[in-house]
Amino acid sequence: MTERGGFEGLDSCVHCGFCLQACPTFLATGDEADSPRGRIELMRALEAGELAPNDPGVALHLDRCLGCRGCEPVCPSGVSYGRGLEASRALLAERRGTPPLVRAALAALTGTGGDMRATRLVYALARALRATGVPGKLAGWGRLRFAFGMLAATAPKDGGRRWRSVEVGGGRPRANLHRLPPPSMTSPVLLFRGCVMQGLFPHVHAATVRTLEVNGYAVRDAPGQVCCGALHAHAGLRGEARRLARANVAAFGAGGDADDAPPLIVVNSAGCGAMLKEYGHLLHDESDGVGQRFAARVRDVTELLAERGPRPGAPIDATVAYDPPCHLLHAQRIAAPPEQVLRAIPVLRVISTPDAAQCCGSAGLFTLVEPEMSRAVLQPKLASLAQARPQMIVTGNPGCVMQIGAGLAAAGSPIAVRHPVELLDESYRAAGYYA
Amino acid sequence: MTRDGRSLIAALAGIVGARHVRTALPERITYARDGLPTHRRVPGVVVLPGSRDEVIAIVRLLAALGVPFVPRGAGTGLSGGALADADAVLVVLTRLNRILRIDPRNHLAVVEPGVVNVRLSAAAAPDGLLYSPDPSSQTACTIGGNVAENAGGPHCLKYGVTATHVLALEVVLADGQVVELGSLSGEPWGPDLVGLFVGSEGNFGIATRITVRLLPIPRAVRTLLADFAALRTAGEAVSAVIASGIVPAALEMMDQSCIRAVEDSVYAAGYPRDAAAVLLLELDGAQESAVAADAETIAGILHAHGARSVTVAADAKQRERLWQGRKKAFGAMGRLSRDLVVQDAVVPRSALPDVLETIARIAGAYGLTVSNVFHAGDGNLHPNISFDGRVPGLKARVDEASGEIMAACIAAGGTITGEHGVGLDKLRYMPLLFDGDALAAMRAVRRVFDPEERVNPGKVVPVHACREWVGSVNAERGTRNARADVRSDFRVPTSALET
Repeated sequence: MTERGGFEGLDSCVHCGFCLQACPTFLATGDEADSPRGRIELMRALEAGELAPNDPGVALHLDRCLGCRGCEPVCPSGVSYGRGLEASRALLAERRGTPPLVRAALAALTGTGGDMRATRLVYALARALRATGVPGKLAGWGRLRFAFGMLAATAPKDGGRRWRSVEVGGGRPRANLHRLPPPSMTSPVLLFRGCVMQGLFPHVHAATVRTLEVNGYAVRDAPGQVCCGALHAHAGLRGEARRLARANVAAFGAGGDADDAPPLIVVNSAGCGAMLKEYGHLLHDESDGVGQRFAARVRDVTELLAERGPRPGAPIDATVAYDPPCHLLHAQRIAAPPEQVLRAIPVLRVISTPDAAQCCGSAGLFTLVEPEMSRAVLQPKLASLAQARPQMIVTGNPGCVMQIGAGLAAAGSPIAVRHPVELLDESYRAAGYYA
Repeated sequence: MTRDGRSLIAALAGIVGARHVRTALPERITYARDGLPTHRRVPGVVVLPGSRDEVIAIVRLLAALGVPFVPRGAGTGLSGGALADADAVLVVLTRLNRILRIDPRNHLAVVEPGVVNVRLSAAAAPDGLLYSPDPSSQTACTIGGNVAENAGGPHCLKYGVTATHVLALEVVLADGQVVELGSLSGEPWGPDLVGLFVGSEGNFGIATRITVRLLPIPRAVRTLLADFAALRTAGEAVSAVIASGIVPAALEMMDQSCIRAVEDSVYAAGYPRDAAAVLLLELDGAQESAVAADAETIAGILHAHGARSVTVAADAKQRERLWQGRKKAFGAMGRLSRDLVVQDAVVPRSALPDVLETIARIAGAYGLTVSNVFHAGDGNLHPNISFDGRVPGLKARVDEASGEIMAACIAAGGTITGEHGVGLDKLRYMPLLFDGDALAAMRAVRRVFDPEERVNPGKVVPVHACREWVGSVNAERGTRNARADVRSDFRVPTSALET
């Protein structure tokens, strides 16, 4: 950790206010205290000791920040808002403790209560419940019903019933593919599994492995890996985040062949990816830049795929809306690669709603602990999606899949939300790559 | 908290709902500054009405209690104008953000005051129309704030400032009366009251409905970037362009320090880093061929007056990048130092080369970094002084340098503000420009709208310098003389900072 713990990232703010309209919570309330500029005032006062971390007027507005970092890419002075926010939340957590709901959610979802068996049981029960189809039927706007909607949104979806893969040019799609040269070299990569992704989205991991292999990557496992710590860092639990980061550095450190540079680390959750890329900052004071070196190896799955093209698959005749996750677009500044991945699917039409870059209100545990603001932020997105009428929504982060999925279900929409690699995987399957 | 304070808060909550009344100190602190953060005033209460009717009810309540209040939009103003003291209520209008009507046939729109400037143009674009005044903060600032400050912007060179584009206003006066100023076809009779209200810096009441003119989006546009090896040459080229008889839609200048800050940011536009200054020009019109011919003429003039290169934006995307860089330059100043004072002065265009050199000399004498980014075609300067407020005594030096720059602009035949307004920041310069009689006359005009001087008190006219205050020379501190007129002195002293 740096000397000022991240607060130094706020120094360049000159109060111009150009961030205001990029902030989903400011758009929802119109209140400066719910804007990046207003929160920077609060954070600076916290650091200076002018305001106390347990002052409810401070906590309310910092708690209500999604941490989407939509303010960062529009800031002319390059203020590191996210770092200031985490530093502030660490102060808040130190002073007032962690709310029981957050503790419980972290223990259940990430296993950081110390009992991985309990966490595995939680996910097994969730998958069993999901398989009954009941959560989807119960989905709605209430706190519990929204949670059911979120769970239902995690289910593997078969696109086949909504559209057909199209055969173009009269021949079987796979006929074209044999003309493609095989990838010139096979690069080893290590898959970051995470907690929610592993528990509820194993099908996305499978699709990640398959699509990467088609594009010349050999995906290997890194045993001993744990949760990335993003949810902990957002909750101000930096100690736990650092403990998890060290465990991951150890688990992934040994993955390389003896003399070679250690292999890249591939992640398919934008939230986890953003956190893993922050390990340099998180482990700033650890010996010999281990965090920095780890972070430099992390790639989103779409970055790796885009680097190799990716190889085209079979056509899918559908219109999908791409919704960039905040932690991909704003935090990692990855804009083009997911669209390149989707462009590898012939015929597929990719649209973008005007406010696509705006947060959906998921933000990790935010949707559970700040339901009112979370839903208020989700509403404009649902409205513009309803207008655009895509057949499916594509986004590369588990939280966004669940949040948008639950919102659509509550609004009575049949539109499904999926990860981009799932679509590519379907296209590859139809093309015969896996035959 | 006094009983007066509590009952006021309860009454406000009765109008807008408790969640839209902000009383906690941290919340009020977030409203203590605007876009010029060297001024800081913590308001007594912040209220966020959601409708015109709520605004009217609030103003009537405050009139009945004799409580001062300050209207505020997005808080992007640059003169400390939208700040309220601890005994005043800050009325924040961001929630009044509906575009009520766009009339494409008559080229007009009716908006609430909290509509963000750029959103109006976006909404009008499908009809081939735009709202012309384009202050650099247009992605954040509100039309209500633009009306209060008579906001300018690069394209005001050809199309005029906000006042040119406002046709009619519905205004809530300080006493709660609702009046209509102007009409769809301009002022129906008598004095130009809309013209008087626009630029009154929140001193005359709150505009709740604003009818503005929309213009057709120009069919042909050329954006030129010219770079110069010396500031003086660039300044001379500005006058040469204007002398040609061609009126550019915009004619902006940025110096090297600004260019580099922008090029380091996400808004990097491809300005040459080694240029002493660049000029950004736009020509527009209805005829492609005419605009192309003008562009060629102007490029020739720029070359003849020392431009090292002149490039024309190849497409709409590059044009947008060139403009984004210019418009976000002020926000990029945080890259130079953690604190910033942006100044706003106007000089005759012909004086630009000399004044720019004078500013550089003053900056050098005080050991300060000054970056210039401004509306050169209008002679409207914006020297930005970057400094580190933590260094003891530095802020005082910045203030002194600002004063000297302002005096130099006045000496050159200029004035103390082009578009940012007087607010709090320029109060101290008003007596440099106006004598006691003139200031007293301004105050008398204000009292026609607001006899108790309860709306945005203490701004614009340094009342201690007015004729009736002869004997006091401390104009800068004359921020409040209307105390006697104010019947309530409610306070919400919940702050450790205040007691």
